[in-house]
Amino acid sequence: MSTLISQLINFGVPVETLVLLLMVPITLTFIAFCRQVIGVRGFGIFPPLILTFAFVETKLKYGIVIFFVTIITGTVVRFLLRKLRITYLPRMAIILTFVSLSVFLVFFVGSYFNIGGLRVISIFPILVMILLCERFISAQMERGPRMAIILTVETLILAIISYFIIEWSWLQNILLSWPILSFVFAIIINFALGRWTGLRFSEYFRFKELLR
Amino acid sequence: MANFFFPNVLGINERTLRYVLPKNKKISRIIDSKILTKEALEEAGLPVLDTYFTIKSLYEFRMFNWDNLPNSFVLKPDHGYGGGGITVLYAKAKRSEEPAWIQAGGSIFTLDELKSKVLNILEGMYSLFFLPDIALFEERAKLAKVFKPYSFKGGIPDIRIIVFNNVPVMAMLRLPTKESQGKANLHQGALGCGIDMATGLTTNAIFHNQIIDYLPGTRFLLRGIKIPEWTKILEISARAADALGIKFLGVDIAIDREKGPVIVELNNRPGLSIQIANLASLKERLERLKGLKVTSIKKAVRLAQDLFGETEKVGEIFEEKKIIGVNEKVKIIEDGREIEVVAKVDTGAFRTSISTDLAEKLQLFNKVIGTKHVRSALGESERSIVPLKFILHQEEIDTEVSIAPRSNLKYQMIIGRRDIKGFLVDPEKVI
Repeated sequence: MSTLISQLINFGVPVETLVLLLMVPITLTFIAFCRQVIGVRGFGIFPPLILTFAFVETKLKYGIVIFFVTIITGTVVRFLLRKLRITYLPRMAIILTFVSLSVFLVFFVGSYFNIGGLRVISIFPILVMILLCERFISAQMERGPRMAIILTVETLILAIISYFIIEWSWLQNILLSWPILSFVFAIIINFALGRWTGLRFSEYFRFKELLR
Repeated sequence: MANFFFPNVLGINERTLRYVLPKNKKISRIIDSKILTKEALEEAGLPVLDTYFTIKSLYEFRMFNWDNLPNSFVLKPDHGYGGGGITVLYAKAKRSEEPAWIQAGGSIFTLDELKSKVLNILEGMYSLFFLPDIALFEERAKLAKVFKPYSFKGGIPDIRIIVFNNVPVMAMLRLPTKESQGKANLHQGALGCGIDMATGLTTNAIFHNQIIDYLPGTRFLLRGIKIPEWTKILEISARAADALGIKFLGVDIAIDREKGPVIVELNNRPGLSIQIANLASLKERLERLKGLKVTSIKKAVRLAQDLFGETEKVGEIFEEKKIIGVNEKVKIIEDGREIEVVAKVDTGAFRTSISTDLAEKLQLFNKVIGTKHVRSALGESERSIVPLKFILHQEEIDTEVSIAPRSNLKYQMIIGRRDIKGFLVDPEKVI
């Protein structure tokens, strides 16, 4: 373990926080790589990142359950409100109100079946789910349900893979030993990605007619 | 296989890095706003669609007189992108109890829905970063006849041209579908047809990035559609890029039945599917233009046609001339009446002639302006000459014709070579 890290731990900084902080640049780089080289769009860079950390907080399987409960609630409520003539922000506020109510449902189910992971959820992952829900619904309104589902699934996949990267103990140990690696790696790779003009992996499919 | 490892296609990464960046802040501000773009284009003397009204604030929204809205218009957000937030309404709905319009695609759109759409635009739902926006009521271009068979209820096809260094590089005809609700954006579900840069004839078509031959659900071939006024369209696109001073630009041009080509929109990050529609690489074409000095718009247009056209020479002849067959439907206009007859095209005859029957039907005998001695297959005879106006392929021809006793023959009218100047005759074309 690097001296800097052990000093911080001695001062009482939680080691979990340090690991997560060192993982932030790695996760961001991974998301940027997926966008530039593979062509996975998702909802930009922040939503998949924060969803990953929400999953870390709730544990993956419970996180996915809450994710779907909130997304489905949001879609149903949006559908019910479709005919109502109200402007965007109040409409979104109503939808998200129902989304937060749906988290109560999760608590009830968690308590009834005595599932700890669904009973004890802190406010941070709940807010993240609400944020994702907002993105999903605004994508539905602007770009149609098909695109909204594609972007949501992409975001979910990015978050799940990032989750496994963060939970990878070998990588955690390396970063605790040489924390500087995290930042150097992120900066170098992202400079390269930012100058990359090659075709994205997805574009090989998109332009397959031209590549024959 | 070499294509696979060294793909000769312009991808998003390369487009953004090489062509979209670096941005000029002042130009981006103009091009991101439809209102400012229109002002800049109008100043340069380029044709744009009329703006009927704008609503800039909630106050203006409350004061707005909704009765003033015409039967046909397009509602757009000033800062929208990718066709988001655009509503195309093409007629008043008569049967509905409350005021309503018919939306391109055929569904009813009520005044209430329209108002909430305007409110959403003002709130910034369709603008980047959700900034408050302006709602814009714009003229809906009137559908040109050529596109009638290909256009879905109320939608207006347009032509996307990518311009680089003021030279038009690649073009695509975009046909709205039911799915795209009258919008011409490919990712909203419109069709795209590649266009040969020399002739303005469509080459190949795509729907959701897949190559198709026919208009879905019909037997209309999407290949070989002739874009009218092609050279003028190329010129307008080049002048638009020049007027705004943008190196790399997508120009969308609609063809209005009355006004001709009009610029609908400009886009500084044009989509790349145009390459599939044309089965051609933008990368290759753009690289050919690098470092080229283009001194005038005329030269730019000629360069585009010469460099990127697939058919050479042939294009030049066909460009200006319409092709007619050996027989053609014509509309005779007489005393405000229109009579449609099938006429035979006869390049062996100088003057057009009509049968005695037809002349009687049109009451032309009291309009005789002279006689002419003619020698024909029917022998020598004196024929009366009368003035006549007819329409052949949308072109009005004002001429003098002779009256011949041909009641026993198949055609009531023969068109002579004097009246088909500007046309080419294709002996294989019959109706």
